[in-house]
Amino acid sequence: MSGFNTHGRMKGSRGRALSATFAAVLAAGAFGQALAADIDPDATINVGSLYEPQNLDNTAGAGQGINEAFNGNVYESLFRLTDAGTVEPVLAKDTAVSEDGLTYTFTLQPGVTFHSGAPLTAADVKFSIERVTAEASKSSRKNSLASVAGIETPDDATVVVKLSSRSISLPYNLTYVWIVNDEATDLQSKEDGTGPYALQEWRRGSSLAIARFDGYWGEKPKNGEVVFQYFTEATALNNALLTGSVDVITSVQSPDSLAQFKDNPEFTVSEGQSTTKLLLAYNDRVTPFDNVTVRKALARAIDDEKLLKAVWGDYGTLIGSFVPPTDPWYVDLTKVDAYDPESAKQLLAEAGYPDGFTFTIDTPNYDPHPIAAQFIQSELAKIGVKVEINVITANEWYTKIYKAHDFQATLQEHVNHRDIVFYGNPDFYWGYNNPKVVELIKQAEASASEAEQAGKLKEANTIIAEDAASNWFYLYPQIVVSKNTIAGYPVNGLNSQFFAAGITKSE
Amino acid sequence: MSGHDAMVSGNGRARKAALPWPLAVGGLLVGLHIVVALLTLVWTPYGVGDMAGGRLEAPSLAHWAGTDRLGRDLMTQIMIGSRIALLVGCGAVALGALIGVTIGILAAFATRTLDDVLAAALDILIAFPTLLLAMLIVASSDGASLGTAILAIGIAGSAIVARLTRILAKRVLAMDYITAARVAGTGWPGIARIHVLPNIWPTLIVNFALQFGLAVIAEASLSYLGLGAPPPNASWGRLLQEAQASVYTAPFGAIAPGIALVSLVIGLNLFADGLRDAADPTRRRSR
Repeated sequence: MSGFNTHGRMKGSRGRALSATFAAVLAAGAFGQALAADIDPDATINVGSLYEPQNLDNTAGAGQGINEAFNGNVYESLFRLTDAGTVEPVLAKDTAVSEDGLTYTFTLQPGVTFHSGAPLTAADVKFSIERVTAEASKSSRKNSLASVAGIETPDDATVVVKLSSRSISLPYNLTYVWIVNDEATDLQSKEDGTGPYALQEWRRGSSLAIARFDGYWGEKPKNGEVVFQYFTEATALNNALLTGSVDVITSVQSPDSLAQFKDNPEFTVSEGQSTTKLLLAYNDRVTPFDNVTVRKALARAIDDEKLLKAVWGDYGTLIGSFVPPTDPWYVDLTKVDAYDPESAKQLLAEAGYPDGFTFTIDTPNYDPHPIAAQFIQSELAKIGVKVEINVITANEWYTKIYKAHDFQATLQEHVNHRDIVFYGNPDFYWGYNNPKVVELIKQAEASASEAEQAGKLKEANTIIAEDAASNWFYLYPQIVVSKNTIAGYPVNGLNSQFFAAGITKSE
Repeated sequence: MSGHDAMVSGNGRARKAALPWPLAVGGLLVGLHIVVALLTLVWTPYGVGDMAGGRLEAPSLAHWAGTDRLGRDLMTQIMIGSRIALLVGCGAVALGALIGVTIGILAAFATRTLDDVLAAALDILIAFPTLLLAMLIVASSDGASLGTAILAIGIAGSAIVARLTRILAKRVLAMDYITAARVAGTGWPGIARIHVLPNIWPTLIVNFALQFGLAVIAEASLSYLGLGAPPPNASWGRLLQEAQASVYTAPFGAIAPGIALVSLVIGLNLFADGLRDAADPTRRRSR
């Protein structure tokens, strides 16, 4: 399954956000010490994944696979997003914010060197941020950094970022900005970062190996090397774990393949929280989807719980809006427009469609979209709404829907953390345009405190749900399966990250 | 006549009278699928969108082939799958025949240069993987549908038909009676209609039957990739794809459409074999 990923354009087929981070790494640290005698400090960890990057540069449309392999491993940023969803400093040792919130002064971590041997300076940071905001950059985080008006480097250890308007999310947005050496020439097939691992070998179509970097400024990784082995197909990936050619797989694609691991003491199955949401996005610009009552009717006509059960068995979480529980502005909105086919019919009649209508769902051709589309088709048939299913590829989805907005409704999975901002952008593919929400999301960004920001976004979140802006079904589970000799890997699915430094392998 | 005598003479004579077994078995299998396909037009065990069953139920009296993830009856879907497979097969073979025979005949009558160009073009088209060609056609259209599947598979198959037609037609055109016809003033369309087509037709029919089997597999492959007939058309390829993730816990979901697919394709191949034997008795002994 693939998805729509804002910081990497489309993923390859069958994509899902894999992610994770440090809370789990720390939690597992204690466990690791208890077994310290058995742990091989130079172990090679083989990670099985479905997401090979297209290239090695996250500003050049590399896809989510590059975040998985490189974020926090090969490249570091000023801040990082932890597995629990919080933001903590990495290369920014200290941060000072001016009274008006328009000037951020970052003091850099001392003694940091790039893999090429060059020391980290403020010029590198300036270069790195400008690389993301540059005209040619394909990073869709570009817009998030639009308020950056200028970057000054008074000395080698100090970076001053000037903003044109307040941006409470600046540290968060900087978690996407890799700090690269400003002298690096080829970042698409090589790297020059500051992370605990350096790229060793990338065999296109097969694997990507990163090895411990001895000059790393921070704590040494608990293993010697990490090899991401890429598969194109989930069954092949599961088999690789069963036969021992990989140690851990970053996300299991279906609950039915879990049986072979759950009943086997040689494997550990963990369920974390992903940020991947399955939704039916209407084109809110076109009739009848410009009518809130129609959207509410459709939301009530579909039994989300049954769909979740069909696709994920006993896993996954129901959501009532676009915001997953790991976002700070989560509100439980599952009761809004809950499953109620009778009132759905009434609402349709009220909206002027007593006999229903016909519309087309553009459906990506990979699981779970086709089966979800068929489910929606039969559910809506019960209230007299006829659905045509049009199957398209991931590329067609990008050009027809994301770029050209040429659709009535589409199924899609959205993988990102904190992506409610899309509903504040009337030009986004789904064309939801509620001035109140646009204003709230804008104000939230200009908040003076995180509490104020969360309050505003909670309000926006509630309005979006009441407006049934889209039809949100469920949040994917994040299921990581490993051999029982492997510990310390991140378990949550935030922004596709897979921090490898804490992973241990015992004999 | 004693049994011994019958056996000795049987090789030559008795079998000529009886239906060759591949033709009989193949015809039976294909016929079964046709009957099922027609039946689905008026009756299926459950409605197509009926999701009342449990998730991935094992085969039972109520659901002969079990249920899928949405709780729909698999038997119903497999039966409808017969219809889709036969429909796409017929459509693709008809389209392939139309394009292929036309080009093949034209190439056979064409001047040497044009013939060379056409032959080279056909070779390239044949070398191109059918599935890739089909995916290209689907990708360049507005979305996958039954029509694009037929178009894609038909065009891919037409190259093979065209090449065969060209070779067969050229062989006929070398005959003395063609020269005679030409001398008598018959134009090339007349020669094609009166002399060429009736002579090559039996061989072509056998080839169409084989093409039918390939078309059924191609349709299943396209649907497996999500590029065939869109849901809720229950294609076997899509059923296989949907069953893939649960093949360990609910293997029957993959086995049942697999059996359906294999039985139709084997049936078609046996049928083609039998047809060939029937059309060309001299080959029978060598087999």
